[in-house]
Amino acid sequence: MAVNETEKTTYTIPVGPIHPALKEPIRLDLEIDGEQVVDVDVTLGQVHRSIEWLGMNRNNPVQTLYLAERICGICNICHPYCLVLAVEQAADIKVPDRAEYIRVIAAEMERIHSHILWAGVAAHEIGFDTVFYLTWRVREEIMDLIELVFGNRVTKAIFQFGGVRRDITEEQLPRLRQGLDYYKSIFEQLRRVFLEDETVKMRCRNVGILSTEDALKLLTVGPTVRASGVPKDVRQDQPYSAYADLDVKAITPDIVTGTVVGDVYDRIIVRLLEVAQSIQIIEDCIAHMPDGPILAEPKMPRLLKLLTDAAGEGVGRVEAPRGEDIHYVRLESGVSTLSTWKVRAPTYINLVAIPTILKGMQIADVPIAFASIDPCMSCTNRAIITDKATGSKSVLGYEEMHRLSVQKTKELQR
Amino acid sequence: MEKLTPQQIVDSFKKALGDGFIDGKIYEREVAVKKNRYRRIWLYVKREAFREAVHHLSRIQEYPHFVIISSSDLGDEVELIYHFTIYYGHHLEEISVGIRVALSKKDLKIPTITDLIPGAIFTERETQEMMGVEVTDIPDGRRLFLAGDLPEGIHPWRKDDKKLEEYLRVLPGRKPKGKDKEG
Amino acid sequence: MSLKAFNRALWVYHLNTGSCNGCDIEILAVLTPRYDAERFGIMLVGSPRHADVLLATGPVGRSMEDSVRRIYEQTPDPKVVMAVGNCGIEGDVFHEAYSLVGPIDQIIPVDVYVPGCPPRPEAIIEGVVKAWAKLETLAKQGVA
Repeated sequence: MAVNETEKTTYTIPVGPIHPALKEPIRLDLEIDGEQVVDVDVTLGQVHRSIEWLGMNRNNPVQTLYLAERICGICNICHPYCLVLAVEQAADIKVPDRAEYIRVIAAEMERIHSHILWAGVAAHEIGFDTVFYLTWRVREEIMDLIELVFGNRVTKAIFQFGGVRRDITEEQLPRLRQGLDYYKSIFEQLRRVFLEDETVKMRCRNVGILSTEDALKLLTVGPTVRASGVPKDVRQDQPYSAYADLDVKAITPDIVTGTVVGDVYDRIIVRLLEVAQSIQIIEDCIAHMPDGPILAEPKMPRLLKLLTDAAGEGVGRVEAPRGEDIHYVRLESGVSTLSTWKVRAPTYINLVAIPTILKGMQIADVPIAFASIDPCMSCTNRAIITDKATGSKSVLGYEEMHRLSVQKTKELQR
Repeated sequence: MEKLTPQQIVDSFKKALGDGFIDGKIYEREVAVKKNRYRRIWLYVKREAFREAVHHLSRIQEYPHFVIISSSDLGDEVELIYHFTIYYGHHLEEISVGIRVALSKKDLKIPTITDLIPGAIFTERETQEMMGVEVTDIPDGRRLFLAGDLPEGIHPWRKDDKKLEEYLRVLPGRKPKGKDKEG
Repeated sequence: MSLKAFNRALWVYHLNTGSCNGCDIEILAVLTPRYDAERFGIMLVGSPRHADVLLATGPVGRSMEDSVRRIYEQTPDPKVVMAVGNCGIEGDVFHEAYSLVGPIDQIIPVDVYVPGCPPRPEAIIEGVVKAWAKLETLAKQGVA
């Protein structure tokens, strides 16, 4: 940082929501030179609820499954899914085929709901509140389908070691197909709103760029890395459950635009196309679903005894809506808890790329660039981005930053 | 470069590390109806050969995908597993590689790999604060998650940490760690 | 129950003390066109100084304790605090964690509890209506 520059003030943006939807306190101390961000530092720690410690010391594995569900309310399926895959490898439990297909349907329905939620929040960050309300209204349809099939809107408790707890019956299939048709019919409208609007292009093109090489070096995952051109997708590379029978391709933005820039606009493209891909996957699964039982071991005391006596280790990797999620589990014979449990959620590793994404950007672009990696702080433990301060500090609340972002949109629209 | 089979990868590590190589195991599992497999390699190496092992992996795959460091408290020693994956980006071809290092509790030190892989900084900081393993030459050694919660010196992932019990928030009338399950 | 004494819309500030976001997305679902609490005038505001109701979610972590107290003090009277979700009420699955200092009512006084993990949007609306009734009572008494 050059010392001979005349104006150097540090704006401290204290605890205040960066996601109006999620209200996860985030603190940004941006080192500013004029209007541009020069340096960023990351500090974490506020949503730390000692979940791994609870899983290793207090709960038996089935209780840990319900604890894993509450790591995050939005990516509600991926954490129990990973845990179940890891424990089944460790204890060598074979899962019936029908359960594998139901698991994939659950994961894809969660992906649709999470991406539409993100689209609404991104629209709010730019200042399009009507689009925010429109997309959340569209999202209610998938929430109804989730409630129909799994019994609850948010915490579904569908996983169990060795299978799933509920079956999809014949009576539910017509309603499920009707919901998917609704999404196919409305997809064109969503695509036009997000991809062809001039203001969205002006706000999102060339903002928050992450180059291909940086994305590989900084180990990013999920739509963030696919938007930078690297086709990393666990469903394609190391498929699990029924994905091993389907042919899932990682989506990169050159399918639509022909080139890869790695900015916020590319991330919008990737997420919207993934919604269409998920609808297709759910239809394939329904068409090819095998018959049979849904649980390898339906009686709970026997299942608990099986897990207490088992010894081994396992790794479960799942493609969550935000990226690759991984759980490592080690079981010891005679110990009733999980002996070692390590969780790494996708936002944990995407946050390492934040300093690179935010450098050189204007303050008004910070909310949308930060929201474009789809941060889920409760998965990560919340981030405080602080910076090395020089000069005087002044306090700029999040509301101020959001107002700057909306103001910029209005100026562009004039 | 052409893709190697898991056994060829294990053999190439044995050749590159010499004495530092302790063992290599391959694990495969079949999934779903079509019975495709996913493959995992476990490599047991000594601490002295650890950085050379990471170098060698970068020769097999440019920019290997580093996932996380998991640590297990096994009584007298702590085992760190560095989870990597290689050959990503292609259908059904990814192989997971786990490099395992066992450290005795009297000498919990391991060299950093952030010069080879810049994205590893978070997970090294987390291992340092949660397990008490010292990562030598780490560029930024501050605590990551516990800075506002607990004082220094308490390591939650260790099974023999006695000071943690004071901080447990227990509901009134109950004893911690489910000790009152009979009641 | 007549709601005539309180003659302006209810402004709500959402306080996240470390929750998993499940309750938070249900709170936002209350404001979107399906359940549409905005037609009653209920609005989310960005600062506690404008708020009448504090919607608090999440078990309180040790590093969030100060912020919660400060936000409670910044909210002007009359005010009502609602604890939404099981973690805020008594800890739920996190009750023995080493990094949590207690359910919300150990830190700030709570008036309305909405249980559930997460509670349905209909339950949250009922909680807000009860909070509204309580605010009416406080305003009539002329609480400063």
